[in-house]
Amino acid sequence: MSEVESRLLKCFSAVFPNLPPQEIVGAKPESVAEWDSVAHVILLGVVEEEFKLSIGVEELEGLNSFESILHYIKARNHPV
Amino acid sequence: MKLIEALQILNQQRPAEARTRKFFLVCGFSPLYLLTFLKAQLALKYPQEEVEIDVGLYGDVAGNLERSRAQPLQSAAVVLEWSDLDSRLGIRATGGWLPKALPDILQSVEAAFKRLEPAVERLSQGCPVALSLPTLPLPPIGTSAGWQATPFDLRLRELVSGFAGRMAGLARVRVLSSQRLDLVSISSERLDVRSELLAGFPYRHAHADVLAGLLADLLYEATPKKGLITDLDDTLWKGILGDVGPGGVSWDVAHHSQMQALYQQLLAALSGIGVLVGVASANEPDLVEEVFRREDILLPRDRLFPVVVRWGRKSKSVQQILNRWNISADSVVFVDDSPMELAEVKAEFPQIECLPFPTDKPEAAWKLLLQLRDLFGKAVLLEEDRLRAESLRTDAQLTEALSDGKPSDAFLEQAEAVVSLDFKKNPSDARALELMNKTNQFNLNGRHYTEAEWETHLSHADSFLLTVSYEDKYGRLGRIAVVTGTRNGPAVDVESWVMSCRAFARRIEYQCLQALFKRFSAPLIRFNYRKTERNGPLRQFFADLVKTGVTDSNLQLSIEEFKRSCPTLFHQVRELRIEGSADERG
Repeated sequence: MSEVESRLLKCFSAVFPNLPPQEIVGAKPESVAEWDSVAHVILLGVVEEEFKLSIGVEELEGLNSFESILHYIKARNHPV
Repeated sequence: MKLIEALQILNQQRPAEARTRKFFLVCGFSPLYLLTFLKAQLALKYPQEEVEIDVGLYGDVAGNLERSRAQPLQSAAVVLEWSDLDSRLGIRATGGWLPKALPDILQSVEAAFKRLEPAVERLSQGCPVALSLPTLPLPPIGTSAGWQATPFDLRLRELVSGFAGRMAGLARVRVLSSQRLDLVSISSERLDVRSELLAGFPYRHAHADVLAGLLADLLYEATPKKGLITDLDDTLWKGILGDVGPGGVSWDVAHHSQMQALYQQLLAALSGIGVLVGVASANEPDLVEEVFRREDILLPRDRLFPVVVRWGRKSKSVQQILNRWNISADSVVFVDDSPMELAEVKAEFPQIECLPFPTDKPEAAWKLLLQLRDLFGKAVLLEEDRLRAESLRTDAQLTEALSDGKPSDAFLEQAEAVVSLDFKKNPSDARALELMNKTNQFNLNGRHYTEAEWETHLSHADSFLLTVSYEDKYGRLGRIAVVTGTRNGPAVDVESWVMSCRAFARRIEYQCLQALFKRFSAPLIRFNYRKTERNGPLRQFFADLVKTGVTDSNLQLSIEEFKRSCPTLFHQVRELRIEGSADERG
């Protein structure tokens, strides 16, 4: 597991503390009951802070799974 | 604190039997990260408890104020922003910023405050309220460039100040200091335009964190420190007295010792609000007294008690002062310029907060003054605070009159003591609750009450509250004892009983019991007693009274036992009644 991945896991665990670690990688709003609109904003806030990013308005909606957020961070060429 | 840290704090497990403290965050915006940070800050302050914060509806501050009153709360935070006063002052509405709209905006802000004022007041009748006034910059509204304040800007701020001033005058409303906020959150780094437009949350993370921290400070019932012990040389004044003599030490601008002057001034002010200020100095006593006779002294000698000037270990002097004050070490701050003295005192008294006085560093000394204000500041100033230091000094005379640690009948008889008994149940009497929560030594069981719990307890028809005041020819002590409980058939159940340590050795505790027996014609009083680490004086009182060993929990006392053990009481007793007062001989 890369460092980015493990830091992202930490973000997800903080926002969804009841989600078992093995389920985080596949997490998306449909599979996580607590993932509502408020949790979504908080999750992206945590990710922005952790990775020192500013997520563009138009990109917010697409970032709706662990995988898509990970892909987004990697695409932004975040130094690891 | 970072957002992820706040979430991690909230995810920590609390004890299974943790009690819940309920708060309400009243705001018109989406509370989002402010709620997260506030919960985390309060969770840090109440580590053994569950913190719950309820919130209202978006865009409805007035309605949320009413909603918050629907449930018993520990306290409430009310956070106002410009858009709550008039949506044209926010960035999500487009009602127009034409010059002709400005008078109307002012009128609408004034009207909003008129609506909010009684609502905040009503809320504060049920619980303490922390109030934050607009923290964000105004939008580019007005006729001038941004660096010029317009009459519109200034009038808006005048309206805010007026509202804040009126609210701060209410007993249970604490207004967040905009000056402190400005010091810790840069104004230009507060507004998050993108977040406000996307999610209705107007704060950047850092601002939300800082604001939450200050709100938590206001909501948390922190106990201020009670006593300050100060060194003299290179602390209260600049210079070594033994070297330069009484005329050579200084505290003024000309001698580059203005920070010592400000320190003296602050200590004088603290003593004026009841903080005990004592001196521990290695010096010649006569020389010290000579300095205090100087006309330019800013901290008069009579504000200090005791002044312990002796050679030898500083911790011995500190011990002597603690004995005279009769307060615990964790209520005390020690200030000295010498790192070695500070370390020596800290080693002996780990609970004392030891702070260095930075003699030749004005910036650091300034920070020390601000820190001292925070450590000793009180949310509400009571008459008893002013009386405390005064009564400690008169206590010295009393102590000197005692030969074996207990007062003689002859001494008490000539003291002209008056005990006032007040059985009125007044939940908003801050002093009664303060005594209950801050007294450790003469405390039946160490129980603390929140304001909401106190109010609920007193609202029960069978509960009673006895508040006792005392004065004698040596001075007034004010309200120094509180007893509360319930009447159950022929017996009286005392749930909590505290008495200030300032009131020891005057037999007031006997007078309290006599008052209960008499008031309720009860043959028996049962006490919800529990041994705590610090209630030894109360335990000793019971041991003297019942003449047998005191168990670790629950006690009872019959009127016969009381009569057998009660010494002669010389007080004149005044029972305060709603319809008037009656005097009798105790």
